[in-house]
Amino acid sequence: MIVRSLSLRNFRIHQSSSIDFSDTLNFIVGGNGEGKTSLLEGLYFLCTTRNFKAAADNELLRFGEESYEVNGIFQDTTIRKARIYYSAADTKRHYLLDGKSITRATDVIGKFPVVLLTPEDHQLTQGGPADRRKFIDSVISQSNVFYLSTLIEYNRIIKQRSALLNLLREQRRHDYLVELDAWDELLVKTGTTIIEIRQQFIEEFNQFICEAYSHIMPGEEQPVILYPLLQGSTEIVTESIFAERLAKRREEEIRRAANLTGPHRDDFIFMVNNTALKTYGSQGQHKTFQTALRFAEFFYLKMKAGTTPIFLLDDVFGELDTKRSSRISEYLKTVGQAFITITDFSNYRFLAKSEHDATIMVSRGSIGI
Amino acid sequence: MIIPEPLQLAIEEFSKFPGIGKKTAQRLALFLLRRHTDDVNRFIAAIEGLKENLHQCKTCYNITSSEYCEICSSPKRDHATLCVVEDASDIFAIERSNQFNGKYHVLGGVLSPLSGVGPESLKVKELLERLKSEDVHEVILALNPNTEGETTALYINKLLRGLPIKVTRIARGLPIGGDLEFSDEATIGRAVIGRVEYT
Repeated sequence: MIVRSLSLRNFRIHQSSSIDFSDTLNFIVGGNGEGKTSLLEGLYFLCTTRNFKAAADNELLRFGEESYEVNGIFQDTTIRKARIYYSAADTKRHYLLDGKSITRATDVIGKFPVVLLTPEDHQLTQGGPADRRKFIDSVISQSNVFYLSTLIEYNRIIKQRSALLNLLREQRRHDYLVELDAWDELLVKTGTTIIEIRQQFIEEFNQFICEAYSHIMPGEEQPVILYPLLQGSTEIVTESIFAERLAKRREEEIRRAANLTGPHRDDFIFMVNNTALKTYGSQGQHKTFQTALRFAEFFYLKMKAGTTPIFLLDDVFGELDTKRSSRISEYLKTVGQAFITITDFSNYRFLAKSEHDATIMVSRGSIGI
Repeated sequence: MIIPEPLQLAIEEFSKFPGIGKKTAQRLALFLLRRHTDDVNRFIAAIEGLKENLHQCKTCYNITSSEYCEICSSPKRDHATLCVVEDASDIFAIERSNQFNGKYHVLGGVLSPLSGVGPESLKVKELLERLKSEDVHEVILALNPNTEGETTALYINKLLRGLPIKVTRIARGLPIGGDLEFSDEATIGRAVIGRVEYT
């Protein structure tokens, strides 16, 4: 899929900006606060109906204005026009696809697959297990709707079970304990499905992460993602093993009124050359891994979805040395269309820019050449 | 404009109905206002009759106008099969299918700790009592295929374990006349997992 053009009206700092994009690399150049990232924000917004900075509509609205508008023209087998319109008067946001109003986000999600690399991605390797679960779950969900619905059901079970554990902590009634057995059975069944799908995914995704990493650091480092099932098991987790583990911690669960065993507490361990990245990784290794994760996501979704996602890279070269940066820029040539924000070309002489690539200069919310 | 109090009162009562918002409530109230007094009185009588003449069947907790419901008192019904449902409206649905000739038991809800519904709020104890006194060979759990319905079915299954009764669960899968390509992924996924072998 290709984005042909984007226009922003009263969106963030942009009063009225229209850009036609190249099918290949689009370098968005400008200083801090000039409105580079807003272009990526607009694209991501159209693709997902969500704002990646989780900003409220009144923050997105240009200061002193009444309404904002984001328009995009996408091309796959056919041309599709997406439009987001917000008016401060009725505080409502409208999403229109080819002129038709869309009310459910699921009608848009997946139509325009998008992969985003931002400086906030440091959370992926340096943050907590929840950040990594969110990443893995989101990549699987985008390519497997069954996984998404199973995950939603699992989270519902977790909530119900936690309410029941609270009741049991107050009063140990026999019928509540039998009810807990019933919730356990469902938790184990749904949870095992989640573990199995994650396990298959990691196996497949490891090839993608290796491939991506080797493009950035050829031959020098070997990355791998480990998935210790149920917080530390390397054996295959079957329903009976899960149930056994759960039974062992029942007393503790009731005492703490919390769900202590299950895939909702699992972590994914990122390794480089057999050592844990989180503990022993250098800044460069962290940044390389984060970048490789997004490239791997891109190629994985491309394979699964059958359509090429668009790739948004916000300030990716900021913390990387010239060697890695120039390799990433070479690697980018293989993705198809991508949007890359950079502050200044003179600092990035290594960038391999070809004649089809576009340079978009952004200053004070206006587009130059 | 200030709405006269009697009208406001009617609107508020109507808006408590499921699926009725403020605007529809207003339409309904104004509709009644325009009706002939006789029509309105018939409506009032119908509503009064709901509470006065209907109550729960003493055996199965279905809705009935007599002590025992039509199904429980029918000699043509198969006493050996008992179908457990969440709500009386589920009985109407299953009856329309004409596929079941046994008896029912209405639980009056499903387990949901978040909404404060525990085993004690359901007619589970009553079900166990029935199974002791009646000669039931099979219990069919016909609960909705969602998280809470599923758990309630598992819960009842656990209680019945050890009794000489066959416990079954209604099948989940594709709707009749449905198209595979238009079914949602969750339904297809479940249907594949719950596939049956030709015998």
